[in-house]
Amino acid sequence: MAMINGGHLVGKYLKEVEKVEIVFGISGGHLESILDGFTEYKIRTIDVRHEQAAAMMAHAWFVYTGKPGVCFLTAGPGFTNGLTGIANAYLDNAPLVVLCGRSPLRDDLKGALQEMNQIEAVRPMTKWAATCYDIKRIPEYLALAFRNATGGRPGPVMIELPPDILNIKVDESLVPMPSKSNPKYSVHPDDANLKAAADIINNAKKPLFLGGSGVGFSGCAGALKQFVEKTGIPFMLLNYGRGELPDDHPLSVMDMGTLSLFFSIGQNDVIIAAGLRFNWLLQFGQIIPPTVKMIRIDIDPNEINRNVEAHVGLVGDVGSVLEQLTPLVAKNDHTEWMNTLKAAGRSLLDFELRTRETVSSPIHPIRMVAQIQKFVGDDAIYIADGGDTQYFGLAGFMSKQKAGVVASAAGLLGCLGTGIPFGMAAKLARPDKKVVVLNGDGSFGFNGMEFDTMVRHNIPVVVVINNDCAWGMIKHSQELSIGKERLQCSELGIRRYEKVVEGLGGHGEYVTKDEEIIPALKRAFASGKPACINVMTDPTVTSPATPLFYQSLKMD
Amino acid sequence: MRFSALLFILYQVLKWAAKLKPAYRNYIGSIHSVKIMIKTADGKWGRLFIFDKGAVSSKGGAHHPYDAAIVWSDAATGFRVMASKSDTEQFKAAAAGKMKLDGMAFFAQWFNDGVKLVM
Repeated sequence: MAMINGGHLVGKYLKEVEKVEIVFGISGGHLESILDGFTEYKIRTIDVRHEQAAAMMAHAWFVYTGKPGVCFLTAGPGFTNGLTGIANAYLDNAPLVVLCGRSPLRDDLKGALQEMNQIEAVRPMTKWAATCYDIKRIPEYLALAFRNATGGRPGPVMIELPPDILNIKVDESLVPMPSKSNPKYSVHPDDANLKAAADIINNAKKPLFLGGSGVGFSGCAGALKQFVEKTGIPFMLLNYGRGELPDDHPLSVMDMGTLSLFFSIGQNDVIIAAGLRFNWLLQFGQIIPPTVKMIRIDIDPNEINRNVEAHVGLVGDVGSVLEQLTPLVAKNDHTEWMNTLKAAGRSLLDFELRTRETVSSPIHPIRMVAQIQKFVGDDAIYIADGGDTQYFGLAGFMSKQKAGVVASAAGLLGCLGTGIPFGMAAKLARPDKKVVVLNGDGSFGFNGMEFDTMVRHNIPVVVVINNDCAWGMIKHSQELSIGKERLQCSELGIRRYEKVVEGLGGHGEYVTKDEEIIPALKRAFASGKPACINVMTDPTVTSPATPLFYQSLKMD
Repeated sequence: MRFSALLFILYQVLKWAAKLKPAYRNYIGSIHSVKIMIKTADGKWGRLFIFDKGAVSSKGGAHHPYDAAIVWSDAATGFRVMASKSDTEQFKAAAAGKMKLDGMAFFAQWFNDGVKLVM
């Protein structure tokens, strides 16, 4: 009779049923048998320096692989440290499976180490959260967790595993592994709605396709390509949808920038918004006049009329809907309209485009981004993390890769600090690609210690710090709202972050002049180590995202 | 000349609105020191609009420092498009390269949206 403990059952399920190859977390006494289960079933572990980074890496693992990410948190502070990453995944609709330790059930209400009600704390930021009380039900609970994380609109889930079930043994034959837990299915829109959408598209003169994270999560590059190339509709992909088709696709208007999108959005006669929420970043859709016909595609029916009413709503997975819609639409050519949009974009971005090409002193952040792009190229993964910094990254980086340009802090949580965990996950997922994280100096502080993780696990990401010696977006917003003479808690000062990285075993570069940027990048990539290039940039430069942020909090 | 006069009238209207029109007063709020220039590309004509703690002031001429500028290819185009008060005409002018933004483009958009509340 072969016996198996609860921790090994966890490892066995993850490996044999879900084919999990890698997990992220920090060790802890409550998790010991699970950690040994990872060893037993040859699951790679990436142990980080703060649990929020583990949750963020697992979140990003999904972004870069399409597979749900798994993180492990020990009880108490391990759990609470992970909450920021879980909340971020929740607001980004990312399927994240959290395995969480717990104080012993045996000792409940006695004052056990790290005894707290974790399930009730995490419930508002998960799709599903439960405690498993029976060793024999561990596979069943894990199947439920994965099914809830990935089914319908994805999201994070948490399973709490107490030592009472992890640290005991059971006859292995009494705990069979389920077959693959997630049956494939898709939701399809009504035929009449598909026909109505096709009619609007076929009569459109000035259409635009806007794709959001739902496009990326659907993994629908093929269906999207067929749809836009048949209809000839120009497109812009935002959030995690970016890169589902390359930024330089002939119908992409990515180069017009989001600011020009705001300016010109009302000029379109039809907008197809797919997997895209009209939240504060799109000014709740208030920039779209009611004369524009909206076709909205979303896996969540609640999104269809949220903030912006749809003329036609198509509920379903974006790829599946596009596959059904494409046969109904006519072949068309909107090249003239696309060129008009691009030309308007160039005029509106005139200053920014010139700045990218102009040597600057002090260094302008968009010039720095342009130099990085020039050296690294478009077959790379870029992540931007910060306030103003994320605007410059999103505007200046171009990639041919899926999720090739992501502003990890630009989600609804506005979660600074996500850049380094996302960069690490990207490099682990696509080790053959160069990975660059553009970090604000403020946001670097949240997860800068993860350079230790990168060094220990040999994850050679290059982090470029846009160092304006401040929480730039907050500082510039304060300048607008309360005045330059009354800045509060928004300045950071000159700090040599690259020396911290050298101390942790990585490669460091300090850059103060324009002409030093590319040589520093060359040395950083050549080192083969995790690298930090600390670039001192013009502290007076404000991105267009700052007044948008300022305006969003202004009350009448 | 008509362009210059239009800019001066616009200044008077905005100054009035900042004092007497609640919607516009709320819109510009208490923003500290934002300078918007409207000018022609050759720098011959222009006017600076200064928003500071709810007040609007202005200076004639195209050579003052600014945060954002709306730059017209020529005064006639600037007059025609601005007098039309039409988003579509502005968009067409941008697409034709006759209207460009300089500096902090968002503030130019902010300025335009504010003008819409008044006109």
